[in-house]
Amino acid sequence: MSTIDNTAELTPMSPISINWIGLWTIIRREMSRLMRVPTQAFVAPWISALMFIFVFGYVVGTRIATIGGHRYIEFVLPGILMLNVVNAAFLQSSSQIYFQRFLRYIEEVLVAPFSHIEMIVGLLAMTVVRSVITAVGILLIGAAFGATSVSGIVEFLFWIVAVSIIFGLLGIIIGLWANNFEQLTMLNIFFITPLSFVGGVFNTVHMLPGWLHWIAWANPFFYFINGIRHSMIGFTETPELLAAGLTLGLMVVLLAVVWKLFSIGYGLRE
Amino acid sequence: MTTPAVSISHLRKVYRGGTVAVDDLSMQIAPGDFFGFLGPNGAGKSTTIHCMTGIAKPTSGKIEIFGIDAVKDYREARRLIGLSPQEFNVDTFAKVTQIIDWMGGYFGLRAAERKARVEMLIDRFELGPHAKKQFRELSGGLKRRVILARALVHDPKLLILDEPTAGVDVELRRDLWRYLQELNRDGKTILLTSHYLEEIERLCRTISIINDGKIVREGPKAEFLLTGDLEAAYLTATGAEPDHIEGAAA
Repeated sequence: MSTIDNTAELTPMSPISINWIGLWTIIRREMSRLMRVPTQAFVAPWISALMFIFVFGYVVGTRIATIGGHRYIEFVLPGILMLNVVNAAFLQSSSQIYFQRFLRYIEEVLVAPFSHIEMIVGLLAMTVVRSVITAVGILLIGAAFGATSVSGIVEFLFWIVAVSIIFGLLGIIIGLWANNFEQLTMLNIFFITPLSFVGGVFNTVHMLPGWLHWIAWANPFFYFINGIRHSMIGFTETPELLAAGLTLGLMVVLLAVVWKLFSIGYGLRE
Repeated sequence: MTTPAVSISHLRKVYRGGTVAVDDLSMQIAPGDFFGFLGPNGAGKSTTIHCMTGIAKPTSGKIEIFGIDAVKDYREARRLIGLSPQEFNVDTFAKVTQIIDWMGGYFGLRAAERKARVEMLIDRFELGPHAKKQFRELSGGLKRRVILARALVHDPKLLILDEPTAGVDVELRRDLWRYLQELNRDGKTILLTSHYLEEIERLCRTISIINDGKIVREGPKAEFLLTGDLEAAYLTATGAEPDHIEGAAA
């Protein structure tokens, strides 16, 4: 064995400095983990979206009248896209933190010089990356059916990133709380899937029975889906500023909750 | 007056459920020391280490690493520590080079520096033939080498080794001893826990014994050996049955 050379030079750190190299390493590492399961991470949501677009948009949609002057496939594509962005974001952050806890390699991050906010940003960055890749794939599938259009690119990006962050934060909360795989999937089964289906993916609120309208208005997915739909085809059933305001408000509340959980070490530190 | 490498004052750690793992523990480690931290299973050794490194939150008390508060200024304090934990806390599907490289990245090492350190450590621990293998494919001894290399990638001033030779064969153990002595000679402060008293006796200059969350005896190694061997001193300090102590001294 050779003699060791102890000359590593750490980047100087002031109290407010950001560990950029560390943050980039969190992203690199998680990307490496995802690349071990590309079919599960990316191909599965694309195939699911392809089936939804083909069956509901193309096959069934040709027998449905236009909605707000748009073909049904154009109406339904933003909802399907949002459905998959939500799932990608939630699965990414919840599984990332849960597996790190489960296999205990979260300790590698805990003993490193990261602030709580850096750890959260690291988790969310990869969440946004996975959501954007998923969204781009679905846009391309939609384009193959001649249904993709983006009327406002900034607005479109706002909705993809904002919704990714919201469900990334929810995923972190569940990933910290869950003590088994059953608990990890509960929010998805009982909350995300039902609310996203009744949040206007396939229909307008006016197609619902009158007594169900208030449920639609109380459903956050309704605002997310209408937001992305407006950015793509210019059609919405909600005031845009109200939808954006509610989304940003929800994001701030969830960020505060996650920051608090990290600062008290919930699910992280013994 | 020299700043201690580690200064712990009145540390207390109570887990959820009320278990008191560490109770009013105070100790100091001088810079450059090779410090043996002994105690039975469940005595509080790993909990103390976890409180020092950020894996556990102290309930009360103060921990300073080279004069830096390990709770208030935790980011700066953690840069000074390298931890080789008792259990393998690794992404078992990751490759050896990735594990060491990622840890360097977490500690802010730039790419070129990281590459040089990873190559040097791979060479130092004779991991070259296994560098591209997944962690789960390695033998117990090789896994232990990877964990040690990971702990050293950012060249910490304080190296904490929690039972580093558990499950390691005699040859590698002796090789690790030589290597740890070399690191210590170069000025690195080392805190070592082990159930192999021979290891502690051979390597450490200062010894502290913990039992039921409290330090029950501490001092230079020579003091422990004045009245017999380390095993007898250890058993006496931890309140073992007299016949066990007599057996050890015989």
